[in-house]
Amino acid sequence: MSKINECDLYGTNFSTESMKVIAESIGIGYLGDDAAKELAEDISFRVKHIIQDAAKFMNHAKRSKLLQTDIDSALKVKNIEPQYGFQSAEPLPFRFASGGGRELHFIEEKEVDLNDLLHNINPKAPLETTLRSHWLCIDGVQPTIPENPPPVAKVIQKLESVDPVKKKPLKETAGKPTTGKQKLKNIETVQIKQLATHELSVEQQVYYKEITEACVGSDEARRAEALQSLASDPGLHEMLPRMCTFIIEGVRVNVVQNNLALLIYLMRMVKALLDNQSLYLEKYLHELIPSVTTCIVSKQLCMRPELDNHWALRDFASRLMAQICKNFNTSTNNIQTRVTRMFTNALQQEKVALSSLYGALQGLSELGAEVIRIFILPRVKSIGQRIETNYLEGNLVSNMEKIASSNIKSLLIKVLAPVLKSIRSPPDNLEEYKQEFGYMGVSLHSAVVKARTQPTPATTGFTNNPITCSSTISRTVSTPSGIIQQQTSSGSRTIVMNTTPRAQMAQSNQKFVFVTQRPQTPMSSSHQIQQNAPAGQNTVVKFVSNTNQQPKLASQQKLVVVNSNQGNVQGQIAGSPGNTVLISKQNFVQQQQSPILDDLSQLV
Amino acid sequence: MDKTQLSAVLQLLKKYNLKGTEEILRKEANISDNLNVDSLNRDADVNSILKGYKSDGDPEAYEAAYTDLKKFVEYSLDIYKHELGAILFPVLVHMYLELVYNDHADKGIELMRKFGPEQDYYYQDDLRKLAMIVKKEHMNGNELAETFKSNQFVIRISRDTLSLLKRHLDEKKSSVLFNIIQDHLYFDTYEGVARNKSQIDATAGSLGGEISRYNKTKVYYGIPKGPDPITIAAPTEEDDGDGGGGDPDNPDKPKKKKAKKDPMFSKKTKSDPNAPPPDRIPAPEWKDNDKAEKFKACKEASKRVTLGPDCMPSCCCYTLLNANYTVCCAEITEDSSMLAVGFNDSILKVWTLVPQKLKAMKTAEQLEEVNIEAEDVLVRMMDERSGETSRTLCGHNGPVYSVSFSPDRTLLLSCSEDSTIRLWSLQIWTCLVVYKGHMFPIWDVKFSPLGYYFASASFDRTARLWATDHYQPLRLFAGHFSDVDCIQFHPNANYVATGSSDRRVCLWDCATGNRARIMTGHKSPIHSLAFSNDGRYLASGGADCKVLLWDLAHGHLVAEMTGHEKTIHCLAFSRCGNVLASGGLDCTLKIWDFSKLLEESNAEELNVSHNPDVKSGDSYLLRNFATKNSPLINLHFTRRNLLIAVALFDGGST
Repeated sequence: MSKINECDLYGTNFSTESMKVIAESIGIGYLGDDAAKELAEDISFRVKHIIQDAAKFMNHAKRSKLLQTDIDSALKVKNIEPQYGFQSAEPLPFRFASGGGRELHFIEEKEVDLNDLLHNINPKAPLETTLRSHWLCIDGVQPTIPENPPPVAKVIQKLESVDPVKKKPLKETAGKPTTGKQKLKNIETVQIKQLATHELSVEQQVYYKEITEACVGSDEARRAEALQSLASDPGLHEMLPRMCTFIIEGVRVNVVQNNLALLIYLMRMVKALLDNQSLYLEKYLHELIPSVTTCIVSKQLCMRPELDNHWALRDFASRLMAQICKNFNTSTNNIQTRVTRMFTNALQQEKVALSSLYGALQGLSELGAEVIRIFILPRVKSIGQRIETNYLEGNLVSNMEKIASSNIKSLLIKVLAPVLKSIRSPPDNLEEYKQEFGYMGVSLHSAVVKARTQPTPATTGFTNNPITCSSTISRTVSTPSGIIQQQTSSGSRTIVMNTTPRAQMAQSNQKFVFVTQRPQTPMSSSHQIQQNAPAGQNTVVKFVSNTNQQPKLASQQKLVVVNSNQGNVQGQIAGSPGNTVLISKQNFVQQQQSPILDDLSQLV
Repeated sequence: MDKTQLSAVLQLLKKYNLKGTEEILRKEANISDNLNVDSLNRDADVNSILKGYKSDGDPEAYEAAYTDLKKFVEYSLDIYKHELGAILFPVLVHMYLELVYNDHADKGIELMRKFGPEQDYYYQDDLRKLAMIVKKEHMNGNELAETFKSNQFVIRISRDTLSLLKRHLDEKKSSVLFNIIQDHLYFDTYEGVARNKSQIDATAGSLGGEISRYNKTKVYYGIPKGPDPITIAAPTEEDDGDGGGGDPDNPDKPKKKKAKKDPMFSKKTKSDPNAPPPDRIPAPEWKDNDKAEKFKACKEASKRVTLGPDCMPSCCCYTLLNANYTVCCAEITEDSSMLAVGFNDSILKVWTLVPQKLKAMKTAEQLEEVNIEAEDVLVRMMDERSGETSRTLCGHNGPVYSVSFSPDRTLLLSCSEDSTIRLWSLQIWTCLVVYKGHMFPIWDVKFSPLGYYFASASFDRTARLWATDHYQPLRLFAGHFSDVDCIQFHPNANYVATGSSDRRVCLWDCATGNRARIMTGHKSPIHSLAFSNDGRYLASGGADCKVLLWDLAHGHLVAEMTGHEKTIHCLAFSRCGNVLASGGLDCTLKIWDFSKLLEESNAEELNVSHNPDVKSGDSYLLRNFATKNSPLINLHFTRRNLLIAVALFDGGST
């Protein structure tokens, strides 16, 4: 047979070469071309037949995956001895090898050590099949319990954040009564965007109340339960905006009041939300990241800085930040790059408070060894100098500063020792260390020497994989510092975030702007029309209308929330000066916009 | 006459022992014995020669003939076009087989490549299977080729369309085409307007064409009048009535019918003209135990919720964990107290779903101490200490593909890949009987609603009716062209419905063993069947992801409900008959509004329209519930209309 097209049904046969190889393998030295061809045709036909029958066994076992036992059963039906011994733990046991112009698939046969076999007389028994019951639906409504799939899949949550109108038809099929009236008609290509209000049912309101009370209440057992619920409940997405608002408002208030306990509780809530697999948190990051940042670098987080352990909160929040970076960093939103830059900026400030300095260092060190090497190491000397002065003029500085200095010192030793150990070769010269790191040199030297004597370095603090870090770093270097541009013109202010090359923008999907103003703004009748990038599937002209019904959480909804699924973000708001408050929440480095970041603003 | 044909005739003569004629023919044709034997060996089957594809036709003529036919179809009037189009597929298939048979496989492949892809989507699967056959030898024993060879492909066609076709064939005088149509096609004509494309598509797709000529026989789809619910409510009265009015010699009293029947329903059908005579099928004796059971069922039923669009069911889902690729089937008892699961590794497991544990009977010595006069003898004979929440039954020698509980919950049937059916006792927890009869794996087994009888469906293309006390089948239902995949008893136990890989649903009469209905319309193998509570409608679902609803009165397709994305493996009607639930491999449960569907289809007068329009079911979908990666394998409505689903958690596919 000549050249066979793979996709062709008719005459898809084994090649004669295969036949010859197989014949060779069973000891037939020479197989004539004719014989091979004849065999190939016959065997192909039989194999197809067997597969066809095996599929029946698969279907009747209510599976969609063909197993070896199905082939065995099909052979048995044809009165052929099944091929015993082909049970495999892997889905595809074939290995591929090529060489000398020949390509070969083969089954790897491992050598079995008889001793192992003899000693492991009892192989691991398979788990017993057990029965578990749950409510799939109650009176036609599917309860949101962990046993059921999340009511709105992450993909849809994501879509919703881009285009809330799309949510409506999806919601109808998700086990809720059909109302039909919500169907928006597509009139030509113009759609009037309704504000997507998330109405909470009474039960959800009760839940929200209970959870938030428990989270910040005094009962630790209740709090643990509430956090567990936040971390595992699949049906939270409708409440997510409220939860986030609760957290950011909470942080805003409690930072001012220096209420350490509450800040810790709020950070634990963030942690729980981050842990929840069914939530699409990305669209709330612009709210959460500033709050978390506040808890890392704020100058003061507690009433008695010299006594309270606000360091723990900073550590915890840093770990959260690292988790956020790890989970949500993409090549378009560059979260890690931006976070890194923010902390680095803080480091470079001369007058920054020591507590903020500690936070920035901690925040950076959680981002991985590579970040430490590039951003912390060069600054060790100057930081050391600052700490040293505190120690020398011990009488003049407060107790608080002393504690801060010692904390910074131990932090630096802890995070730098493993890094130095790996980047420096063994003969550790004390003088070199002194020269390079100044005040810190002595302690670092002893720490590195000590680390070298210990067989396993403690690297548990590094949550990030060094490879991702290095790629981030290279991006950091290549992108100009103007990642956030702020243009203030006479009437409008445009915040363009994350400027990326135009070509990339054209590829991404459309970007929508939803604006609602505070009711007192005179803009209620004014519309902003935005034309979209040409590459979008359909050009959608959006009327961003204002509703005078003030939602319950006004502070939440007045915002410009822009998110496209590529993370390519562009927010544009036009309005009369003074009246429109512009906060691009994604623009979390713009500290002057939000009062809670007062402390941070000093850093920049 | 060529030699093979002669030898076939000779063999035929030999077979009927017509020695004289044989000798004369031999002499006349100058055929020596040797040659005869040779040619006979090559074509062993006489029939395959006489009815085979031997043709002297020029292989080149086929493509021209097909193109010509296609052109004729395309240029004919729109109203006839689609009906004429229906002959294209069988003609193409037979042309291909003829070409392959006459060693012109390359021509056949060329023809198929050219015209195969433009056939209707539901035929593509067949074409793929057909593509395997590229040699004459392959045709021997091939299921598909034999089906096409030995059965005429039935085409439903209006008289006008047929005459148009005939005229065309007469004009063209294409022998290739004419022979194929003559030999392998059967035209089932009807008077009236030719059907449109969607009407044809709705019922097309089965192997062997669109068959409706069987559907003239009367089907007693009604439910015979059961015991009066009022007397049932007082079991003692019922007892007396039974003793007084019953004839001890005649065990088939009307009152014994339909132990499981819904009393609420029986009120409506007291004089159902469509119900079979009560003694049409001999029924087992009505025991005290059954009466108590019936009384309990009635009490439960009175607490039943009537479902509808405004009152949606609640669904409790039992998920089998650690069951990746090991569970084949599951079944729940009528009273929802037990769940039986059949495994890939030949075992069966029974779980209790209620607080009562699964108890075993006492030993023989202990049983002697039990007072058999006692009221609660059935309770006393069970060993209280032996209660367990699940029990395992071992005995099969291959994957267990189906299980079925007897109505009184003391027996369990299972069928397996090892070609046997086993009857298990749920009192002593051992195997009682092994029924051997099928030669190949058995796909499905079901107890009759009366108990005593059961039916099985097998890979060997037959379905069989058995009685528990006979080791051989009572009836053998043969006629499917491919595996019989599923089987279901009609609620009145007089009929069984089968669904097959030949994409046909058949209804068989248990009393006569005849085929009462053949219903075509599925486009893929059928895996699930369910009768409506009134016995008139049959729902079927399968690998084509559609639920089709059939009216058994005429064998019409009433509605086609689409929405599933993968094979449908379970269907269930609610006890009130208002709602149909379906579930399958796509991990979703869908609830359909059956009462609305009935209302709308009854509004149309079925008898007037010869080819009733098939309703698309999308508007009847009430709810859609997804599970978490757990394909549904069984659905069951409890007596109070709570829906129970059995699902397998598929941890591997996350």
